[in-house]
Amino acid sequence: MSDPLRREEKKDAPSEKRDDGPKKPDVSSPGKDNILKRMRKVDPKQSEKYKQRTGE
Amino acid sequence: MKQRIFGIETEYGLLIKDKDFKYGPVDVALQLKDYIFDVGKKGLLDQHYRANDEPPGNGGFLTNGGRIYLDMGHLEYASPECSNLVDLVTYDRGGDMLVQEAVESLGWQDKVAIIKNNVDLETNATFGCHENYLVSRDFKFENRENLRLLSSFLVTRQIFCGAGRIGACNPHPFRDWAEAGVDDSKEEHVDFQISQRADHIPNEFYRWVQYNRAIVNTRDEPLSDPGRFRRVHLLVGDSNMNEFSNALKMGTTILMMDLIEIGAGRAEWILEDAVGTMRKISRDPSFKWEITLSNGKPSTALELQWEIMETAKKHLAGSGYETDWILTEWESVLNDLSKGGPEAVLDRVDWAAKYWMLNEFRKEEDLPWHDPWLKSLDLEYHNLNKNDGLFWGLEENGDARRKTSDEAVERSMLTAPRGTRASGRGELVKSLLECPASYLIDWIGFRLNKDEPFLMLDPFVSYKDEIKEIVGRLDIREPAHGDGIEP
Repeated sequence: MSDPLRREEKKDAPSEKRDDGPKKPDVSSPGKDNILKRMRKVDPKQSEKYKQRTGE
Repeated sequence: MKQRIFGIETEYGLLIKDKDFKYGPVDVALQLKDYIFDVGKKGLLDQHYRANDEPPGNGGFLTNGGRIYLDMGHLEYASPECSNLVDLVTYDRGGDMLVQEAVESLGWQDKVAIIKNNVDLETNATFGCHENYLVSRDFKFENRENLRLLSSFLVTRQIFCGAGRIGACNPHPFRDWAEAGVDDSKEEHVDFQISQRADHIPNEFYRWVQYNRAIVNTRDEPLSDPGRFRRVHLLVGDSNMNEFSNALKMGTTILMMDLIEIGAGRAEWILEDAVGTMRKISRDPSFKWEITLSNGKPSTALELQWEIMETAKKHLAGSGYETDWILTEWESVLNDLSKGGPEAVLDRVDWAAKYWMLNEFRKEEDLPWHDPWLKSLDLEYHNLNKNDGLFWGLEENGDARRKTSDEAVERSMLTAPRGTRASGRGELVKSLLECPASYLIDWIGFRLNKDEPFLMLDPFVSYKDEIKEIVGRLDIREPAHGDGIEP
């Protein structure tokens, strides 16, 4: 278990959060402001420039 | 504990943000691919034809054991074979970062965005995220009941692994035979749906990948010893930005296949109309996700997933750390979805995060769902540029659960995972970058110069010692073009 990938998984194991039950995000947190700031920077028309071909 | 191998293939979308940029998306994909191999030295371009539409130089294998190539005008990354879910999400993201790094190295980050999604919201072109699972040949894939059980699971798992999208694909131009799928002649107004791919899957079972896609792709191409292994290749899922969702998607799916293999799947889980239900669940604005089972009983996607999860717990709990992680998190996400709705899972589920963001933005800006800005924001959720992409804002805030680390992702861009033949392949590619020779490399083996092909038919074996020996006696001789192992 010396692999850093697995050490990270242990570190992030969510067991201590599991009993908290469903939680709503804190919409007044700085997180929301950060997201909205990013969103406002997006070109409102950029979807029209996204010209993709069907793939697979 | 049962040995596993997972892999993901990702077709990237490409957005040219600068209208005066000198290249179109297909040219940009070509230049990024060439940069990764020719300048970045991240791998070796193929010297041989792999197919009529895959000429030499179209793509190649990487030092991390995976592959980057051009497919139908898209830049595509196939992860190396990974023996566990942490490696899988690490190497999936490693591919994303290889492509994004090329964009930034070329100085194109303000002009070009790599979009890891599955649909063009204007034209409804679609492109895939293909999941690969290695299972035993004992998995009875030809048994239709088994396939229907798998189909029921795949149709309902979208509630925790869909990536979400604005609008719908109306009508459905992809069908090319009349009896396939359900009647789609009338347009339905959809503000938001939880899956990117649900509108593009007209069949329950089929083996093709481009048109008439199916919930269960039945192509039998094991890329390993066909007497021992089967590669289940699924194209029904969405590309995930959230690595936790990615891991849960692949983890729960392999447990479902384990249940089928041991005969623990139950006939009452089979849906009455899998294709129609897939779209109905995806488009349900109430998130009740009502379904009808083939025995006529009404249920919900949540209840069916709960039953499958409970059965998996009964038969598979305690069989390994990874299995127990999957079972715990599967239960947790279903529990939270049932009690708290989308907002309770936005740290683990892409569609829920996107839905929350778009709704908050709509409220702030007083926009209807059909405003074009919302479509543009939908795309931006999937932008791989960490300074711009909306998903990265969530992760930066600690609102997206991790399953790996940035350090591990960085390492995965150059070094292959342990525990599979990818590590041998990665070493081979590294050696050949140092010591040029003619080569033909494929998933199942390689040939150097005019030597005999070396087969790597067991994906659980690294073959590193044999490869080291072969490379050690390498000298530069005549090219081996024109024959060799089949792709």
